[in-house]
Amino acid sequence: MLTRRDWIRILGVAAGAPASAQELVFPGKRPMLVQNDFPEDLESPVEYFDTWLTPIDSFFVRQHLPRPKVDPGAWKLEISGMVANSVSLSLDELRKLPQYKVPATLECAGNGRGYFTPKIPGLQWKKGAIGNAEWRGPRVADILKKAGVKPQAQWGSCNGADAPVAKTPDFIRSIPMRKLMHEATLIALEMNGQPLPEIHGGPARLIVPGWDGASWVKWANQITVSDKPDAGFYFATAYRYPKHSVAPGGAPKPGDMEVLEGMAVKSFFVKPADTAKVGMSPVRLQGVGWAGEFRVARVEVSTDGGSSWRDARLSPENYNFAWRLWTLDWTPPRPGYYTLMSRATDSAGRVQPIEAPWNPSGYLWNSVDRIGVTVEG
Amino acid sequence: MRILLMGLLTAGALVSADPAVIEKGRAEEKRQCVACHGLRIIQVQRLSRAAWGRELDKMANWGAALEDRESLIEYLVANFGDDKPLPAPPLSKDGRK
Repeated sequence: MLTRRDWIRILGVAAGAPASAQELVFPGKRPMLVQNDFPEDLESPVEYFDTWLTPIDSFFVRQHLPRPKVDPGAWKLEISGMVANSVSLSLDELRKLPQYKVPATLECAGNGRGYFTPKIPGLQWKKGAIGNAEWRGPRVADILKKAGVKPQAQWGSCNGADAPVAKTPDFIRSIPMRKLMHEATLIALEMNGQPLPEIHGGPARLIVPGWDGASWVKWANQITVSDKPDAGFYFATAYRYPKHSVAPGGAPKPGDMEVLEGMAVKSFFVKPADTAKVGMSPVRLQGVGWAGEFRVARVEVSTDGGSSWRDARLSPENYNFAWRLWTLDWTPPRPGYYTLMSRATDSAGRVQPIEAPWNPSGYLWNSVDRIGVTVEG
Repeated sequence: MRILLMGLLTAGALVSADPAVIEKGRAEEKRQCVACHGLRIIQVQRLSRAAWGRELDKMANWGAALEDRESLIEYLVANFGDDKPLPAPPLSKDGRK
């Protein structure tokens, strides 16, 4: 285990150096909203979301533990536990398995936490802890079949090469076998046609389409198959949501907290920017909408604070797990201040609510999006 | 007795606003927290006294050997209390080559 002194040496900073004295630049990334610099927690500004695939240089970053040192030549993914044969696969061996491409939206469970009142501990993400990419690699199901999962196995506990610091728990997430065996669940080796960058979990990360980002274990090097989920903090305590809604600031009973799985239905504006000034000429309103494991079926937009709604036009990409872009051309009727709103409906019939339920960890913020624009005559 | 209690409470309130205590808390933050993570993840948050206390308990369980917890709490509440608005996170410089 690394000591505090080791970390100070690795970081190359004195213990007392103020964070503001360190230059904020992240190799390969456009300017990002810095929620934390070590480890990197970087939010994408919303104006970056103007393409269906979010480029790697614009894609948000979330890390629980410091990024591990990665040696692709020595990389192994090990499958053990309730299997007929433990297997250990190198990157070359993973590349030789049938490769599949899955476009999927990755969203941090706490995206939007910064909007909840009362305030909730954790990163104060607003809109940009999300991105849509095309992930490529072997199916987890094919890897598990090589190992031969025993019939009583219910879970795969996934660990990455990132290691605890001091006494922090290791970041291990258990995924039920039904989801691990899903045809869209991958070990991604590529992102948008490029080798998966280290900052996004390269050389290999779990892709769990439609589920919270925490399930998409980065630097994945171990899946332990079992009839029980992992008992550690990051599965047994964290990433849980109350079974019954609670009043803002309330404390549900621990037994009433359930594991997060699929993400919510949601949309927001990309353009114009909140507080923008526009002229009396037609304005193209645009944004994104997504729905966890489902498809976005509809995005409606209001330009009068929610009194009336019109259907936006959706981009042709229509897949489970992946977002869609939407546009609506709007001609302001007269100068003044306008409250613009967007709300999505998905293929399961879920509708983005006016107000997302407060919950103790600030997950699944998906309130109807609203921005204000001033139309100048 | 009541007067004595009120006196103690007033003294407590004065202590909590003491800039020297807050500076001690700031030093404790620099001493203890950077071993595991940057300070920004602390400073982007705006939490109540009770919530900061729970966070410090969590960090103590995770290996933070807090030497001056009381000053640290006063520093956090004074600078990052839930009566203050969330800060706009800084934008990094362009890291593309």
